[in-house]
Amino acid sequence: MDTQRNESEDFMLELGAITKSFGKNTILHQVSLRVRKGEVCSIIGPSGAGKSTLLRCINLLEQPDSGNMSLNGNFYDVSFPLRQDELLSLRRTCGMVFQSFNLFPHMTVLQNVVFPQRHVLRRNESEAREVALKLLDRVGLKNKASSHPTQLSGGQQQRVAIARALALEPKLMLFDEPTSALDPELAHEVLDVMRELADSGMTMVVVTHEMNFARTVGDHLVVMADGHKIEEGIPEAIMDHPQQSRTRQFLSAVNH
Amino acid sequence: MQFLPTLLVGLRQSLWIIAAVIAIGLPLAFCLALMVMSKHRLISAVGLVIVEVGRGMPALVILYLVYYGLPRFGLNLTNIASVIGALAWNYSCYCSEIIRAGILSVPKGQLEAGQALGLKPRITFLRVVAPQGLLSTIPGLMGQTILAFQDTSLAYTIAVPELMKQAYSLGGESFQYLRVFVLAGLVYAAVTLPSTWITTWVERRINTAY
Ligand SMILES: Nc1ncnc2c1ncn2[C@@H]1O[C@H](COP(=O)(O)OP(=O)(O)O)[C@@H](O)[C@H]1O
Ligand SMILES: [Mg+2]
Repeated sequence: MDTQRNESEDFMLELGAITKSFGKNTILHQVSLRVRKGEVCSIIGPSGAGKSTLLRCINLLEQPDSGNMSLNGNFYDVSFPLRQDELLSLRRTCGMVFQSFNLFPHMTVLQNVVFPQRHVLRRNESEAREVALKLLDRVGLKNKASSHPTQLSGGQQQRVAIARALALEPKLMLFDEPTSALDPELAHEVLDVMRELADSGMTMVVVTHEMNFARTVGDHLVVMADGHKIEEGIPEAIMDHPQQSRTRQFLSAVNH
Repeated sequence: MQFLPTLLVGLRQSLWIIAAVIAIGLPLAFCLALMVMSKHRLISAVGLVIVEVGRGMPALVILYLVYYGLPRFGLNLTNIASVIGALAWNYSCYCSEIIRAGILSVPKGQLEAGQALGLKPRITFLRVVAPQGLLSTIPGLMGQTILAFQDTSLAYTIAVPELMKQAYSLGGESFQYLRVFVLAGLVYAAVTLPSTWITTWVERRINTAY
């Protein structure tokens, strides 16, 4: 009994049999997943596999059809929409970084990071600014605080988006192909920030095509295809000795 | 030229009417847009009926319905109030569609970013989606306002002493209809043309806003 409880406490996130369909198409088939505290879990797989949908089910940007979820010790039955207050508290626990950055273009970089803190954490203006500037410094963009997002490169925008999410002190960070929209040299600066974040002990779920990141930073690797989790384990083990033919196919395609 | 002072008195009345139409019509347009976009089927349907009826009928017909029709239901409006009410309805229906299109033009990622941050839906709408959506509607709303200003000339049909009515009276007194109406047209143009130029300028500014 005791060991079981302790084991459960080790996990930041447990997904149980998440199923999701759009209309008649079932996109996720009973996907389960466990992510330990402080762990970096990478999700790879061909496009259309359901990786984004799975990630979006975690913070309920998509409402699953059925399944359950435990996040930071809180259990949720996600077969039904959550109450508004539960939903907001769940989302407060996870930060999300999108492929397309989704910064607020009508606000400065600083306002992008300050504004959510004011409303979500009810921080006062000076405290929120202080936190924002510290985080912008951490991602190397303190000098861009008064710029507008469109004046920044994609890599810089993505780093601001990371700072914006971190300002709300999430327990879990979700990344949906954060570097796919970027040129390789710009992807680099974003990956460096993510690596530093992982080293600082943040729990992360990262959908990515960056095999090197998944191998060197990731602790756990999940391979998805056609809405199923087809393989998971230690990144090196899977990349060097894939068990499933779909995994082999996918890996040889990305390593061309 | 001796007609000009009288026409300018009429212009003041016309401007007064359009100011009232804007003051009533724009907030109404925003509410109608919210109604039509509502997830509630009933609210959305009611909004849609109001908007489609308002856009479907010519402004003159709406004006007559208000001025001659409402008294049948015991609601007697002055002629100026009838004009303002009728034009405000017509104007708000067109504007609500402009506002709705503007709000729908905001990329879905903006809404999702707000949701993912844990912002309340109301805050996401008011602080993230609406400011971006409404900015792009400003030129369209200005254009609609210019059209509504031209529609104020319909008020002459129910004897509101605005620009068109003054021109009509002057024409009747002097029998110089052509001169009077050319002059009246120039007065309208003196308002609408600069407004159009300003609209174009604003549009260009907004396209380079961010
Ligand atoms: N909102 C949606 N409506 C309908 N189908 C969707 C929607 N979102 C995703 N899908 C479908 O779900 C499948 C998985 O998509 P996605 O999760 O984005 O895959 P991945 O991120 O692995 O490329 C795709 O076939 C896609 O077309
Ligand atoms: Mg995807």
